[in-house]
Amino acid sequence: MLWADGHGLDAHTLARNTLQLIRNRGTDDARAAVAATPVAAELAVVFGAVGERGVAVVAPGTDRAFTALFPIEALDPAPRLAPLLAALGIATCGDLAALSHESVEVRLGAEGVALWRLARADDRRLIFSPAPRELPHASLDWTDYALKDPERLLFSINALLTRVCGALAAEGRGAHELTLTFSLTDRGTHVELLRSSRPTANQRTWVRLVRAALERIRLSAAVTGVALHASRVAARDAQQGDLFDRGFTTTGAAEDAVARIIEDQGEHAVVAPDNSAHPLLDERTTWTPRAPRAPHAAPTGGKVREAQPAYAAQAALTLQLAPVPRAIAVETAPRRDHAVPVRYRDGGQWHDIAQVAGPDRVSGGAWDPDHLHAREYFRCVTREGVLVWLFYDAQAGAWYLHGWWD
Amino acid sequence: MAASVADLRALIEQRFPDAVPVTRGIARPVASGIPEMDHALPRGGFPLGRLSVCAPHGGTTAILRAACRNASRDGERAAWVDTGRTIAGAFWDDAALLVRPATLAHAVRAASELLHAGGFRLVVLAGAELAAPQVARLVRAAHEGGGAFVLLTDHSSMAALRLSARIAPEAYRWDRDPFGGPAHVRDVQLDIHVRALGWNARARFPLPVQSHELRLALESGLADRRGLPRTRLRAP
Repeated sequence: MLWADGHGLDAHTLARNTLQLIRNRGTDDARAAVAATPVAAELAVVFGAVGERGVAVVAPGTDRAFTALFPIEALDPAPRLAPLLAALGIATCGDLAALSHESVEVRLGAEGVALWRLARADDRRLIFSPAPRELPHASLDWTDYALKDPERLLFSINALLTRVCGALAAEGRGAHELTLTFSLTDRGTHVELLRSSRPTANQRTWVRLVRAALERIRLSAAVTGVALHASRVAARDAQQGDLFDRGFTTTGAAEDAVARIIEDQGEHAVVAPDNSAHPLLDERTTWTPRAPRAPHAAPTGGKVREAQPAYAAQAALTLQLAPVPRAIAVETAPRRDHAVPVRYRDGGQWHDIAQVAGPDRVSGGAWDPDHLHAREYFRCVTREGVLVWLFYDAQAGAWYLHGWWD
Repeated sequence: MAASVADLRALIEQRFPDAVPVTRGIARPVASGIPEMDHALPRGGFPLGRLSVCAPHGGTTAILRAACRNASRDGERAAWVDTGRTIAGAFWDDAALLVRPATLAHAVRAASELLHAGGFRLVVLAGAELAAPQVARLVRAAHEGGGAFVLLTDHSSMAALRLSARIAPEAYRWDRDPFGGPAHVRDVQLDIHVRALGWNARARFPLPVQSHELRLALESGLADRRGLPRTRLRAP
């Protein structure tokens, strides 16, 4: 048996042409049937009367009535069901279809229910899977010249991205992966896969990835054409949330803003600290790029969230570090077995120190001459009321302003 | 009566579209979460869609970081543009999105994006001394995005709210060492002065001072060997 999907087509013509094609190949006794349900079409073609030019047609809306006419054996019931059906006096599909769902389930079980559905022309079999939609794609070829300049290539690819991303956005989908194919003057092609960590139709994001790829790849010849197609597509993330949750409703805008900053300034513009246990505070932190995805969404369900440990820290003055310790001039005074600063000069101005705590001595790195350090830290309150962090570098014999509390 | 108020509001919006805040007065300003501080701020927080200027030092960074945490607790987002790169990673608690631009121009562009997006309730720009056109650009972005914009600077032109803080040298409270000298600073008393159009308020409250754990050696120039196994410290 050969099945043909007539959705959206003139089914009768399709059946007739298909039948003609089969007969042309030497099968003279082939028959065809057209129906809205697979079971009605199957019964019509196997048992039904042959209609015009060998095509039987079950009129739309009459599948159940048509099926009811056939003996129950036409549905090929399981051997276990045959004596039960006979005992119940069910001879035709119509007899079975007239029973209720519950009574069939009680008497005949799950197999009986499946047969009952077929007898009612309630055929849930999927003969054809849904046809996959064509994935968005775009291409551009030029013959009069060849491109080598990455910026001009990016300009051309950006035009393709506009079409592909527009098509994706219109379908409510995003691409996980785009395939970029370069046609080269040496008649070869270069295929480059661009991947995003999450499905997105954001053109700026893809432009950023394309730019990064163009900086990386080396082409064997100049480019005469570019094709772009979305090779892996998924529905865009649709987070469940509360429309009245202020953070949730603005997630898209926030993510787009962060993506634009990263695109403009590089991935190291938006960062999070990764702290180690290094004894020197200025060596302790590595700033790692932060994904555009996470600009702090904090869904609360429209209510004020309970205090969370990460943010529950009390407001406090924290240490701010100078990007590089600033060399300063310091006047000291003896205190017990050491000297403490009494005033320092920074930026051409002297600052008197009212109170000083320290020294806190930090030393180490003796095994590595490049990282050898020996510092004496002092926390000093200036007459202006600023708590500053000064240190004396015991190796260099110099004083530095390292930071301040604010 | 209600209908006439609505009509009046609609008429004002139509005649003076730029004069109507994006939030239309419904959204609350960005509170710091410090009761004394919020009491001193007009309507209890930093105004939305407007520029607030905080003078650096004196504890204003602590107040603004508290406001970032508070916004985050409320399910909102906050961003901190660290132009001077003075944020110490060991003290950053991730309550706000941290942007570390390379130059002043980058800082302005980043702040403009964040303000214009409308997805950030509070944007703080620290360590940047801006020219008047740059400030105007950012104020316009804040107005369009509807978030509160706070600039940490001494220059306060175009600001809807000005906040300055001062700490007296004797306002620090210390734990003392055995010799009676200062050893560890416990907290500090802040004097806050808030000014806005028709608003002049002061506040005074203590804040703790956060310290970090120093890994110390006994003497300058000596290697810190405390991490080595005890067996290696014994004489052979």
